[in-house]
Formats: sequence, C-alpha cells, structure tokens
Amino acid sequence: MDEGFRFKVILLGQGAVGKSSLLLRYVENKFSLRHISTIQASFQSKTIEVDGRQVELSIWDTAGQEKYHALGPIYYRGSQGALLLFDITDSRSFEKVKTWVKELQRVLGDSCALMIVGNKLDLEKERTVTEQEARSYAETVNAQYMETSAKENLGISQVFDRLAEEMIRMAEASPQQNTRTGNSNSANGRSNRTIELIDDEPKRSKCC
Amino acid sequence: MGSEHPPVEEHDESKKLKVQIQEKDLLCINGCGFYGTPQWGNRCSKCWRSHLALMKKHHDFTKNRTLLSFDNFQERRKLSTESRSMTIKKIFKPSAMLGEGQSQTMTPSSSMSPVTTPTRVRSLSPESKASREAFSEYLSKNLPFLLVQDIVKTVKYATNKIHELNAISPDELSDLVQNFYQGVSEKLNHNPVFTSGKLKVRTQDVMEEIEKFLCVSCYSRLFCASSDEEVADVSLQDRIRSLHWVTAGFLETKLDFTNVSKCKTTNCQVRDKLDEAISQIIDMNGHRTAEKKLRCLIDCCHAIFEALKESVAPTSADEFLPVLIYVILKGNPPLIQSNVKFISRFALASRVMSGESGYFFTNLSCALQFVQEMNHESLRMNQDEFEAYTSGHLAPPLSLMNCACNQAIGSMERSLAEVGELLKKQQQLLVKIEELDVKMTKENEEMAVQFANFLKVNPSQKYLQMKEEREKVEQETKLACSLSDSWSSSKLSSSRNSEDEPKATEQATSTLLQ
Repeated sequence: MDEGFRFKVILLGQGAVGKSSLLLRYVENKFSLRHISTIQASFQSKTIEVDGRQVELSIWDTAGQEKYHALGPIYYRGSQGALLLFDITDSRSFEKVKTWVKELQRVLGDSCALMIVGNKLDLEKERTVTEQEARSYAETVNAQYMETSAKENLGISQVFDRLAEEMIRMAEASPQQNTRTGNSNSANGRSNRTIELIDDEPKRSKCC
Repeated sequence: MGSEHPPVEEHDESKKLKVQIQEKDLLCINGCGFYGTPQWGNRCSKCWRSHLALMKKHHDFTKNRTLLSFDNFQERRKLSTESRSMTIKKIFKPSAMLGEGQSQTMTPSSSMSPVTTPTRVRSLSPESKASREAFSEYLSKNLPFLLVQDIVKTVKYATNKIHELNAISPDELSDLVQNFYQGVSEKLNHNPVFTSGKLKVRTQDVMEEIEKFLCVSCYSRLFCASSDEEVADVSLQDRIRSLHWVTAGFLETKLDFTNVSKCKTTNCQVRDKLDEAISQIIDMNGHRTAEKKLRCLIDCCHAIFEALKESVAPTSADEFLPVLIYVILKGNPPLIQSNVKFISRFALASRVMSGESGYFFTNLSCALQFVQEMNHESLRMNQDEFEAYTSGHLAPPLSLMNCACNQAIGSMERSLAEVGELLKKQQQLLVKIEELDVKMTKENEEMAVQFANFLKVNPSQKYLQMKEEREKVEQETKLACSLSDSWSSSKLSSSRNSEDEPKATEQATSTLLQ
C-alpha cells in the first residue's frame, strides 16, 4: 500500500504576519492586497511530489489572536508538521513563535516537524529580526528556518517541499506512526481491551 | 415502614435481639460513626439526607432523559406506528436481508438488559430501517455476494453487542467502536477482492457506509449516553444563555453589519448567511449519522465564509473562529457537546482527523472550549463588568457595533430613519400645499379683476351683439310704448264717432262662422 503520504500541517502565526497570503500564494499562486476570488484561506490541501512520491498536504490555519492561544493543543492533535510564521519586521511576532514552539514540543514531543518561516522579505529595509538570530534559534529547537516573501513569491514552495521531506523522513524513521493513506486511523495507545466487537475468533461465545 | 406490618411480638423480639446481640448494628451503615435508624435505611440523619439527594438526582435525570432524549421521541413515534410496522414486518419477513435470523435469535438475550426494552430491539425505528435498506443495497450493488454476507454478519454482531453492553463508559465504547472500524478496514484491505483493484469502491467508501449504519442503528446507545454528559450540556446551554450579551463586537469579529445604509442588499446577505449558519448548526442535533452531523457543520462554516466575504476575503482562521463562536452563542445549539462527543467517539477517524470536515470539527471543538472558558480576560474587559453582565445586573452599553449586531435594534433603527424621512417629506408637502392654496386664492382674485377690466376694455363680439339686440329691443319697446300711448289716446278721441264700427265687425265674424 505504498500509495503515498498524507500529512497534516498546522499554520501558526500572529495576526497580520501573512499567514493567509502565504497559503494562497502556495496553493493558488495568487497574491493581492485584497484577494477576492477565494473566500477562505483557513483550510487548504495540495498534493505535491517529493522524490517521486505523492504527498498530500492538508494545511490548517489557526487563529493567531492572543485570546485563542489556549485552544492551540486542540489544533495540534495529529499533525505531522507545523509552519511557524513570523514577520521579519516585527520582533513581537518572533517572540510569539518561540512560545508556540515550546507549546508544540510540550504537546507533540518530537513527533512534529517544525519549520520556522520569516515572512515579508520584501520589507528587508525595515527588518528588526536578523536572519542570524532566527536561524540560531531554530537550530536550538531542532527546527528548520527559511525566509520568504509572499508578495514577491520568494521561497514559498521551497518551504513546503522542505517541510514535506522532513515529514517523510520522520514518518519513515518511526513506522508506528502511520500516516499512509491506506489506513489513517488514530487508534493509537488503546490497550487492555477485553471485549471485541469483531467476532473473527470462532471460539468466542456470542454474548453473556 | 415495613416494621409496622409484622405482628407486635415479633417486632419487639427482633428489636430485643438486636439490642442484645450487637450495638454495632445500630450504627449508620455508611460507617460514619453516628447511629442509624431503620426508618432511614439504617443511616444516620446526615447520610440519609445525602442519600435522598442522590436518589432525587437520579430520578430527575431519568425524568429529564425521557423528556429530552431521542429515545423517547423515537418511542413515542414508535407507539403511533407500532401496529402498522408490525404488519409490515410480517409481510416482509420472508424477504428480509441476511443476518435477520441472527438478530432474531439475539433478541431474547438482549431483552434481559434493563435499559433496552425488548420491543425496541425487535421493531426497528423507521430511520434504522431505512438505513439498513440503504446499507444492504449499497453493499450488494458494489461488492460480491460472499463479501457482503461477511460484512453484514460482522456489523450485525457489532451492533447487537453494542446494545447488550450496559455497564460500560462511553469512552470504552468509543475504543471498542474505533477498534472495530480499524479491524474491519484492515480485514477489507487484506481481502483479495479489494487488493485486486477491480472494484469501483475503495475500502474507505465501504467503511463510511458501515459507520453510517452503525451510527443510526445504535444511536440510542451511543448518543448522550451518560447523565454527566447531559448535565454538562444543560449547563453549557445555561452558560450560553447567560452570555447572551456577548455580541459580535465583543468577539472582535470582522463582520460588516455597519454598512446598512450604504448597500442594503449585500448587508441583508450577511445577516441571511449568518442565519443560515445558525440554523445549520442547530440542525446538527437532528441527524443521526456522524456524516450528516458533520455535513451540517460544513454547511454552517461555508455560510460563515460567505458572510465574511463582504468584509474580509479571503478569510483566515483569525476571522473565522470568532464568527463561529458568535454563531454558537447566538444559536445556542441543543446538546452540542454531546454531538461533538458523539462525532469524536464514533465517527471514522478519517472524518474527524483530516479533510475539511476534520478542520471544521476541530474549530467547533475550539469554539466550544472557548465559550466554556470565556472570561473577562478573553474578552479584554473588567472582571466586575463581565460578572455584572453575565449575571444580568447590568446591561452592556449600546455601542454602535453592538447595536448594529442586534437585529431587532437594527431594523428598528432603520424603520425609525425611514419614518423620520417620511415625516419630513410630509411636512414639506404640507407647506407646499398651503403655499399653493394661498397662491390660488390670490390668483383667482387677480384674475377676476383682470377679467373684468379686460371685458370693460375689449368687450366680446357676442357681448356687443347682445348689447345691440338689447338696445334694439329697448328701442322697440320704447317705440311700442309710445305707439300704444298714442293709439289709446286716439282711440279715446275716436270712440264716440265710430260706434257702428264694432257692429260691422260682429257681422263679419258671424258670417264667417256660418
């Protein structure tokens, strides 16, 4: 059943760092200050090919406002990758990324591939977070780091390709985490079952 | 008061015996150290009271459950259609699907369970019947006969088992069902019929059908199955009711209600779309399958995106989640938490974990959690203020945004503005009417004067003619008068000398008559 992979990627980032722009640029290759044709940029999926293998990415946007921060873990559940976006002209948004990384690692452990992205490369002149700073931080938390510009379509698809590669690597390293399209069940960690609903053993009596 | 029924001696004897034998027996059976009394079931007063409270709670719950739950609804409906369904059953019995025999043999054992009454297991609800037919039709259309038989047998076994299991927590049941799904899908995946790739349907499709059937046929056992969950639902509903004052403004939604005057048609759409979203989320409770419940949720979310389209497009989660929360607060959907739990427990994992339905479901879970934990901090306001609004001591100020969100106030304001405009128009009209009136009378007078003057200066032809005629007539009369005067005077003078003249005329007339 080596049909391909199916990954869930969550998109985290403070408001106005360009989450929806990045997503739309990637999925539809569109950028405009007022996008009109697409009415939603919160859930998108795209199938790509990495090393000749089909990878279906489901990208889940999350609400970035402070007051919804506590809801994060509900979104993280069952995701194989996280895209943490910040605005290189806004150091507050970078600090926000750090708190998310901590939380992700607390909830998901090391099972989630992390990709930190500095967006708005087109505003290089107003940069307040240096590439060096971001990169060294990413290294300490075992994440990858890239910079993009959704406006000028710089580095967007590379971000997703790299993330997909990393997710495949992790999925193959830990085969018990089943992300193959064949069976995407989440029945992990279910033990000590005494009753079965399947009667494939003939010796079992049918009822009490 | 069982102690009053037996004869007196025996009663005394037993009492004596008790006193003689063990003083320990007089202690409260809860072992709290106080003395108990037989009237209180050998409990002390304190334990008896808590026991009563527990009993009452239990009683209330069962009462509520019968009032609220789907079961009862189903039962009531069943009562009305029972006789009919029995005859239908008789007619169709020979042609019933595979596994029917098995279910018939299963019924006696399941009838022993205290919760499920034997009749309910035997006569299926119309929904279950319809879903069973759809299920078997789907299978027989798409799969080879042997496999169909196998699947039906497996599923039948599982549904019967679910109905039998009583002393089991919903979470354990969920584990069982999920394991069942996984087991069946593994079995199907390894089946040569599927691996050969000749079939039109995928394992996933078959699994979806199995899930649908299982949801419908075991709904009464799977949905809202414990008292705690129902209590949680009711308390959530109360909470939402107490949060009625939280409007779109407080949640910082980007819904654009304000451009009413600018563009009436689009704004109506925003409201209509929100209403649609609300009705969809309420509708979730009305369906039995996880699939249909999720379908409602997806429709609800799409309506929200449509509503947001006017103000922000494309909509990211930053805008979407607040509106979903707003929709939940406005709609106060019934048993929403039980519905969410039902879906997360008994839907196929693929539905809940991936795809659009999974995304929206996650958002719904988030929104519900937010509502539950909503406090002054999450709305960025003063704690006292928040509590005052929630308890109803204070009404929130009517800011523009909040007003604009309230439909009633909104439409009232619009009507008021319209009435004001109409009044103004009427006033203007009245002024104009008065002006016209004055002008008309003035002009009328002027005209009369002018007309008279004009006539004086330029008399018309007719007038002249009439005048001429009149003058003529006057002259004639004058003439006639003078003539008659002269005539009469002459007559007087000549009357004496012409006396035979009348005689002559008399003669003439008589001859004429003859």
